[in-house]
Amino acid sequence: MMSEEVLTAELPAEDSTPPKKKKKLTKRKIGEYAFCYGMLLLPLIQFAIFYIWINSNSIIMAFQEFDGYNDNGGELFKWSLYNFTRFFNEWSNPTSVVVSALKNTFKYFAAGLCMVPVSFFVAYFLYKKIWGYKFFRVFFFLPSIISAVLFVTTYKKLIDYGGPLDMLLSLFGVRIPPLLTDDTKATATIIAYTVWTGLGINMILYQSAMSRIPQEVMEAAQLDGVPWYRELPQIVLPMVWPTIATTLILVITSMFNSTGPILLFAGSGVEVDNQAVTTISFWIYRQTYKAADLNYPAAIGMFFTFVSVPIVFIVRWVFNKIDPQVTY
Amino acid sequence: MFKLKPLKRKMRSSKDFLIAKIVVFILFALYAFTLIFAMLWAFSASLKSQNEFYENINGLPREWLFSNYVTAFSSVQANGNNMFVMFWNSVWYSCGGAALGVFTSSVTAYVVAKYKFPGRGFIYGLALVTMMIPIVGSFPSQYKVYTALGIIDTPLLLITKAAGFGFNFIVLFSFFKTLSWTYAEAGFIDGASHLKVFFRIMLPQALPVIGSLFMVAVVQLWNEYMEPNLFLQSYPTLSSGLYIFQLEMTRGINYPVLFAGLIVSVIPVIILFVCFQKTMMESMSVGGIKG
Repeated sequence: MMSEEVLTAELPAEDSTPPKKKKKLTKRKIGEYAFCYGMLLLPLIQFAIFYIWINSNSIIMAFQEFDGYNDNGGELFKWSLYNFTRFFNEWSNPTSVVVSALKNTFKYFAAGLCMVPVSFFVAYFLYKKIWGYKFFRVFFFLPSIISAVLFVTTYKKLIDYGGPLDMLLSLFGVRIPPLLTDDTKATATIIAYTVWTGLGINMILYQSAMSRIPQEVMEAAQLDGVPWYRELPQIVLPMVWPTIATTLILVITSMFNSTGPILLFAGSGVEVDNQAVTTISFWIYRQTYKAADLNYPAAIGMFFTFVSVPIVFIVRWVFNKIDPQVTY
Repeated sequence: MFKLKPLKRKMRSSKDFLIAKIVVFILFALYAFTLIFAMLWAFSASLKSQNEFYENINGLPREWLFSNYVTAFSSVQANGNNMFVMFWNSVWYSCGGAALGVFTSSVTAYVVAKYKFPGRGFIYGLALVTMMIPIVGSFPSQYKVYTALGIIDTPLLLITKAAGFGFNFIVLFSFFKTLSWTYAEAGFIDGASHLKVFFRIMLPQALPVIGSLFMVAVVQLWNEYMEPNLFLQSYPTLSSGLYIFQLEMTRGINYPVLFAGLIVSVIPVIILFVCFQKTMMESMSVGGIKG
């Protein structure tokens, strides 16, 4: 019910403003304006500081480099393009952190994209009231609200040598290889975790969209003997397309933002600053944590934000074009 | 002949569906089993002695040591804070942050949805555009700005949560937009001020929506570990604190006690979920749009 409101809220909602009439400022109007601006004052100041200042400061930082200390021990910065030349140099080196982080970012992105049809498929069978659907719904959802710290700690033990998964494999004569300490397998192992626990929210979202499909449509399909493998893509999919489109747009536009739960995999021989496991966003996070050089990560963040902006507009434009325009 | 055909087709399609249903049911059951197994495994691990955890890692505990839960409260430490402190930090961080965020958004959403004033369209557009553009890695700049403001590593960091133009704004805006203005007008006729109408007449009607947004925000902040780990190092919450504890104790960590602590950390969320299961699942799915 609420999700629909959100979806429609993204459409321009300016229709309610009446045509502007030239009116004299009455005393009542002034009181009304005073109330409006008074109420908005603090939120706008907050916005100016924590959105505008922070993001414009990111841009400033990107074009500065560290230039020694002043007499009071404060840090000095000078304007330069050093961060960008360094970035593009690293770019051409296939073994650099940036390239490796970008590759991993795309892996998380691909996994996130694949989870959309999977969640849709799961939601369809829950919607079709498969045996025990209420039970499945609750348990598939639980990982989305239970602390990832608990789930990751458990997951690390489950896939450990001697752990339950290893015991299961040993029945077939295979022992589990070290997964997290092996650079070639670490990212895949973390992504496997995100897939394992990542069904919940989209699944619920799709299922509630499906429950809004008018019953007559589904009954008509059933009377015509439409098999499920045609009902799913040809009736249910177009009917819930706006919801799917919203989630897809989100996955695509936030692709450079994925950090996954990489941080939680640190410890017991796993080094999260290893470039084999890092992503763009996570690398920036870790550089900030170490607080060594903040300007270079700021430049990388700015670069990818600017790359995202056209992607956002293109993706939204494309999704508007392929809207099946189902009305009911 | 002609009459039988659709019936046959219908029977065939329902048979097809039965097969698909059985296959999917098996997959669902297997997947649900892995999740339940993981939770039970963690619970069983929390009841073992430290030796048994290594000797009998997959079996049920021989002796159920509920004392691990008591030990967790005394021995789990993160940057010198025990679990009582972490629990309290989690409470103020999640409830305070959620309350500030939802309250600020309901103020801005109400004013923009219900009043006409110069700049209204601009503010609405601003909210939409900031929602649409994903900022990548602003941590370095946040770090600098928070340091400059002196709010880094203090509870004052919560003012960053008092954002009025994010996702909560969009939800509350569409709520207030459809809310009838009649009661407010009745209030004005009775001589109530704008402020009074907002707090006494309009805001109470939005309480169900505000409540569910608040709950979603509480759960999200309760489970948040990246931000407290970066900007609130002296105030570890349960999520960030139990992570720090694991890192500090890489050698000789008492896993059963750690699992006991982790389970304590999720109990409040589980209680919330049991009480408000339906609301939470519906509104979390809206929260999913936030990404």
